[in-house]
Amino acid sequence: MSQQLNIRAESVGILSMSSKQSSSQNWKSISAVPQPSLGRRGMRGNMGAPIEKARDRKGTLKRLWKYFRNEWRYVLLLCVTIILGVTMGVMAPRFQAEGIDRIKNSEPGSLKRVLILMLTAYVIYGLSTLLQGFISAKLSQRVIFRLRGDLFCKITNLPISYIDNHSHGDIMSRMTNDAENIASIVSSSLSSLLSGMLMLVGTIAMMLSYSPLLTMLSCSTVMLTVLFTTNITGYMRKYFVRRQKLLGKLNGTVEEMVTNTRTVTAYNRQEAEVRGFSETADELTKTGIIAEIIGGSMGPVMNMLSNVSFVVVAVFGARFALRGDISIGVISAFIIYAKQFSRPINELAQLYGQIQTALAGGERIFEILDEKEEDKSGGSIVQPVKGVIEFRNVNFSYVPGKPVIRNFSLKVSSGKKIALVGSTGSGKTTIINLLMRFYHVDSGEILLDGKSIYDISTDELRDAIGIVLQDTVLFTDTIRNNLCYASRDITQEELDEAAVSSHCDDLIANLTNGYDTVLESSGSNLSQGQRQLLTICRAFLSKPSILILDEATSSVDTRTEMCIQDAMTELMKQRTSLIIAHRLSTIQDADEIIVMDHGEIVESGNHEELLAKKGRYHDLYMTQFAGQET
Amino acid sequence: MLKFLKKYWWIGLIGSLFMVGEVLIDLIQPKMMAQIVDEGILKGNEGLVWSVGIRMILVVFLGGCCGILSGVFVNICSQHFGNDLRKALFHRIMNFSFEQIDDFTVGSLITRTTSDVTQVQNMVSQLIRGAVRCMMFFIAGSSFLLSLNVAFSRVLMFTLPIILLEIAFVVWKSGPLFTLLQKRLDRVNSVIGENVASERVVKAFVQEKSEIEKFRQSNRDLADSRFQVQLLISWMRPVMNIVLNTATVTIIYIGGMEVEARRMEIGSLMAAITYLSQILSGMMMMAMIFQTITLGVASSKRIKEVLASVPVIQDGKEGNIEKRGGSIEFKNVSFTYPGHHHEVLKDISFTVAPGQTLAIIGATGSGKSTLVSLIPRFYDVTEGRVLVDGEDVKNFTLHELRDRISFALQKSEMFSGSIEHNIMIGNPEATEDEMISAAKVAQAHEFILCQPDSYDTPVAEAGMSLSGGQKQRIAISRALLRPAEILILDDSTSALDLGTEARLFKALRGDYEKMTKIIIAQRIATVMRADRIAVMDKGRIVGMGTHKELMNSCDVYREIYDSQLRKGGAKV
Repeated sequence: MSQQLNIRAESVGILSMSSKQSSSQNWKSISAVPQPSLGRRGMRGNMGAPIEKARDRKGTLKRLWKYFRNEWRYVLLLCVTIILGVTMGVMAPRFQAEGIDRIKNSEPGSLKRVLILMLTAYVIYGLSTLLQGFISAKLSQRVIFRLRGDLFCKITNLPISYIDNHSHGDIMSRMTNDAENIASIVSSSLSSLLSGMLMLVGTIAMMLSYSPLLTMLSCSTVMLTVLFTTNITGYMRKYFVRRQKLLGKLNGTVEEMVTNTRTVTAYNRQEAEVRGFSETADELTKTGIIAEIIGGSMGPVMNMLSNVSFVVVAVFGARFALRGDISIGVISAFIIYAKQFSRPINELAQLYGQIQTALAGGERIFEILDEKEEDKSGGSIVQPVKGVIEFRNVNFSYVPGKPVIRNFSLKVSSGKKIALVGSTGSGKTTIINLLMRFYHVDSGEILLDGKSIYDISTDELRDAIGIVLQDTVLFTDTIRNNLCYASRDITQEELDEAAVSSHCDDLIANLTNGYDTVLESSGSNLSQGQRQLLTICRAFLSKPSILILDEATSSVDTRTEMCIQDAMTELMKQRTSLIIAHRLSTIQDADEIIVMDHGEIVESGNHEELLAKKGRYHDLYMTQFAGQET
Repeated sequence: MLKFLKKYWWIGLIGSLFMVGEVLIDLIQPKMMAQIVDEGILKGNEGLVWSVGIRMILVVFLGGCCGILSGVFVNICSQHFGNDLRKALFHRIMNFSFEQIDDFTVGSLITRTTSDVTQVQNMVSQLIRGAVRCMMFFIAGSSFLLSLNVAFSRVLMFTLPIILLEIAFVVWKSGPLFTLLQKRLDRVNSVIGENVASERVVKAFVQEKSEIEKFRQSNRDLADSRFQVQLLISWMRPVMNIVLNTATVTIIYIGGMEVEARRMEIGSLMAAITYLSQILSGMMMMAMIFQTITLGVASSKRIKEVLASVPVIQDGKEGNIEKRGGSIEFKNVSFTYPGHHHEVLKDISFTVAPGQTLAIIGATGSGKSTLVSLIPRFYDVTEGRVLVDGEDVKNFTLHELRDRISFALQKSEMFSGSIEHNIMIGNPEATEDEMISAAKVAQAHEFILCQPDSYDTPVAEAGMSLSGGQKQRIAISRALLRPAEILILDDSTSALDLGTEARLFKALRGDYEKMTKIIIAQRIATVMRADRIAVMDKGRIVGMGTHKELMNSCDVYREIYDSQLRKGGAKV
């Protein structure tokens, strides 16, 4: 009778493991896009991976429970079916004992009735587990869907400063790994854990009713199992942690070397890298063998211990039967009960680590959910927006005590073209961050059309501004959807026109499906220059009142840039525009050039005036053309 | 693949033998149990109960030892196998040409070397342990059961097909379901990834709501998929239970009649119940073995693909070609990227004499980078010839050819480790002084000294704090450290500010006079000092000469000049 009820745990374990394993890889492949750094926190969900503990387990559980409470109908239904199932599960061996005793006492007439009862009990038991499976699948589907949705909503509503101050890898890990860990624990083992616990109680009660002494004896070996598992998992963890580290290192090496293959090849480093890789691989194998041998002996040892309990039941059961304390049928029932009793305990021992990890992940998820959302409040602004921008004595620092913008005042009248120049770190991009309300000023005021931007809702403020950023951000979607990002109701004519004026038309015409070509992994199949052209076209199409270009054409060659410039001059005619550029040739025709240094304005004026001043701008200009003269 | 297993097959064999032992012992126990019941309890022989009990305990321990030892051997076998496989894969990948790496994609090569190997490794150990265990339970278990009483064969005949059908059904259904689940999980994760990386744009275009809507759809798909999988799994256990338990009831029924007819004892009946569940659970194990095998076979296919790809670019035959100061010659070179139709380079011919500097300028996509990547044979020409030191590059061994060339790439690639390590990749034998002087020329020394541990600062950590320009300067230091005849800078100064760039080239002219140099750049100011400038447009060289000559003769060059220096340039 050994495995009777024990089969599911293993087989399902394997089925769900395969999906989990690949999910962690999959996380990695994604994380490689936004953040190619090597220190990553992936692979948390794997078997035998280091277990982390949640700091506030109770609080985390409580908050998770809230998600279940909303589905109380399903929870209730689940509980009812579990109770029904467990009752049948503990009753059935009782009927079996009776049946065997009838056979022994040669009462074949009443045997049939007992067998029918037994069959009924088993069928109901089977049906109730089926129902449990369905209900918990539905329940977990709903819970996880909501949890993921909440998390995503939160991410899009977090202030930029949160994203800037946390590594993308970390946020990704929370959104993907941690959520996935919870999802898999909830969907695969929630109902089996619940029913296991009840089964434990029911079984003990049944066993006690037959023979308290035999109960104690057979429980003792189970206790032995528990002792063994908890001890060995602690010991095992050490090796698994080390193996995990080595595996991470190995994966890191592969990733790094394959990504950097050009350098590796150009510098004839292949053999050296293969040697390094082999060393790690050998070490991994050594550790892996030890870890797996220890981990792998869990199975045989548990099997052995359960066989010991089989022997104990057989031998002592026989002794009690000989003394007439119990019947033979009871021995056969006890063999089943001993299994039923140890199953949930073993399962819990096996799942313990996974549950801990999931809880720790849950805690991290709730940490994000508790973050303060971006302040989007504010009223509306008079349309059409004129585009008068004013900075009044603005001070700002990302880190307290390290001012980035000092006493910055600037007035831009409607329709003017303003350029910000200065060396890296002079605060140009920060000005844009403040104007977009990505960050909040420490002191001072920023006004749009005479109204403080903090009195304008972020939606309206940002709608009025079109921006082309330093990092060219594109989405894995069609070219069309990327270009029409700001609004979906753009006509084909408008689209064509924008593509021509931003010089995207050739590029798009060369793609296999034109506008409907899907960009792979955020457009990584395009060159930097091509990506910039597309983002410029996107800004064209958003028809803003104010246009901001932050190093928008830095990767486009100068000839193409010049063409785009001509188009942009057209585009910027009616609009206020702010331009940040490295290449001074880009901004020579600006109405006003602001030279910044360490967060302050050091010079301003148009190109001719500034050159005549022979100040900072003149220096910059001369270095630009260093090598031409002298 | 079998080739890799050859070395370790006998270890695996020992492992499976131990597994046979463990199963046999599991199967002997119910028999002993039957003996206790039939000869001990029914006949009132307590002495026998104890002696059989002690024998059982001994047997149980023996079984445990077999199980552990089987694990030991199987692990040694499968992990060594996996290790060899992994190393062979990495070795092969390291010798791939770029086109091959591009074809496979970096991501897929990483998965193939890591998780695919693990998957195959799992398959091997599962085959040795699981399959043997499963077969033994089935074959030996059935014969043990039938040896008790042939009448039980009827039960087996009914239950086995049902279980087999169920397993087949689940295996058949789960494959595509899991693939779909994985795809949808990928989709959800990629939407998240993009949003985290692009939050500025999402916010700037006020698209939070539409992104949430987009995510909702993917999230809904994922949840549905997971639900399907859960449903499928939910069927397995109850059906199995009902079949098993019905069989148990039948066994008791048949056994009851047999006991009545005095053809068997009651202890044997109890043993029969145990055998039945052992056989059926052995069958159930097949479900997961199939799963592992399916995954393993898919993985091994992917691995074989890599191992079967022979590096496209092979060594030339001649070694020790005389060094002649690093001359470069292109003779009527045309080039099309493998698998593409668009000709990237068209009939390119030019020579660079030893010690000369050639600058290349031209629009994005005009073929500059492609041109220089033909020199160290990153790709092979489609037509024409490339010569280095007067010899066709195809005649060199790759090692020798690339040793003569120092290449700073367009995208500066950084390795984990210190800044020093990153520079020393150029020449691992260089002294510290040499390294520092290379860094000085590359204008990197000063900013490196400002790092927390100067040259020992780890790059991985600094990865985020190092700016593009700083990385480029480290990459240039690396290139300068290399004792090569030819130096190629592939637009590798684009992120430097103009002053720094000017200083770099000034230092380069002084200290690295003898090297033949090819410099790709976007800015006129960078190239105008070169001995000669090649102007590229749409895959052709449309002008070649000094700055002055080109200003007079080449329209494209003049346009570029105007685009950069127009208006202001003339007034300075």
